[in-house]
Amino acid sequence: MSPGSSRIRNVFEPMEREEVAKLWNERFSIPVEVFSGFLFFRKARSVWAISESDLPRLSYESLGMRIMSLKDRPWKPTTSALQIFGKHAARNLIHLDEHEATLFLQGESIPLTMKIQSGLESGYVVVFYRGEVLGCGLYSHGKLISQIPKSRRMADTGERVDIDDIGCL
Amino acid sequence: MDPLERYREIVPDYSGFRAIQSLPLYSSGRINLLKIERASLLESLKAHEVGYKIFDWYPLGLKLDIESPGKLMENLLGYLHIQEELSMVPPLILDPQPGERILDLCASPGSKTSQISQMMQNKGLVIANEPSLARVAPLRSNCERLGVMNVAITRYDGRRFPHGPFDRILVDAPCSSEGRERRGPGVLARSSINRSLDLQKLQIGLLKNALRLAKPGGVVVYSTCTYAPEENELVVETALSEARLEKISIPGLKECPGITVWSGRQMDESLRRCARYYPHINDTGGFFVARLIKN
Repeated sequence: MSPGSSRIRNVFEPMEREEVAKLWNERFSIPVEVFSGFLFFRKARSVWAISESDLPRLSYESLGMRIMSLKDRPWKPTTSALQIFGKHAARNLIHLDEHEATLFLQGESIPLTMKIQSGLESGYVVVFYRGEVLGCGLYSHGKLISQIPKSRRMADTGERVDIDDIGCL
Repeated sequence: MDPLERYREIVPDYSGFRAIQSLPLYSSGRINLLKIERASLLESLKAHEVGYKIFDWYPLGLKLDIESPGKLMENLLGYLHIQEELSMVPPLILDPQPGERILDLCASPGSKTSQISQMMQNKGLVIANEPSLARVAPLRSNCERLGVMNVAITRYDGRRFPHGPFDRILVDAPCSSEGRERRGPGVLARSSINRSLDLQKLQIGLLKNALRLAKPGGVVVYSTCTYAPEENELVVETALSEARLEKISIPGLKECPGITVWSGRQMDESLRRCARYYPHINDTGGFFVARLIKN
């Protein structure tokens, strides 16, 4: 790896709010105003959001919440970020019943009925249950594939997997 | 040697103190207002038939009648955070306000960090410092699960955290953790005066740097979960040329005053303003908290 690329990987670089808000608006029709009051940074292939304030000059390990990954196309929202911003979504969202929500929280894939699928585009979707956001799902070929991180799944055996959690969204 | 014996002189109702050490501590959690309203969380627990009792002293704290509270849906979704009862005290004593700049010098796993963030309604900035890379992972994952948006994590040695100023600083110092015996039996077996004296050097270094980093008139809260005066009053005493102590009192939670005599030595009278929490008095763990105002 060249010294140049390693620098880019390890530094938080400021991002324009509009740039981030536009992506979320295009996919989920989340109003761009939802993102005012936050600062955005890119580090390696992740985007981070932190409440607006004067940030002192320090060497940071993280800045607020990691909200999306740009590693693959399409970009992927984190479950944590959807639980904050996803409630404002008007498109590419899905409401589950109790049985489906349980499966989703256990990290399972769920076959969807035709009725639920209407209006959904393939890709990442905001998953709701009783009006609350559960997290990120991947909708593909009539199936909803849970993207809930291992450490936050309901069938969790009690073992801590926090460190794995850092690697997967 | 019995590590608690040396506290016979300072702990009220010493036999009660001894007896409760072998009784396991109940589970407890804090309602996370960053993600849910209090009434909705309580309804959700009722719907899932989880028994709870609200703390006498803190409306967001709950004793939970359940074996693996970490597996609760409410915890996984970040509506509730599993946190020991007395661990909720230091943020209340710190009293952070929305918009301020706060330093949490020894932050992992982030229970107090996220409580501070909640008190600030996600506004302003909390620097959560944690030198150990392995301990940054749970700190980050707890903050993200709880919907914390105003925390930035750094990894400095707390004794050398470079610069402030901060409105308020929490030093929840690494300690011998004697007050955690009810949670993890065996803690006491590893405790000794020598270990406390080793930790004291680190604790004094952390508190000294915190006082340097606070703005004049700023608040520094020093806390541990141990009974050892070497790690508590004797640490705080070293700061009294740069700061004054304010009395700690939380309605509904009984504290004992800090001690002013130890090993035959008279210490500063104002150390009485520190708070000692003993397990047999409130049916909790053990804790020590001091609130300092920088000159």
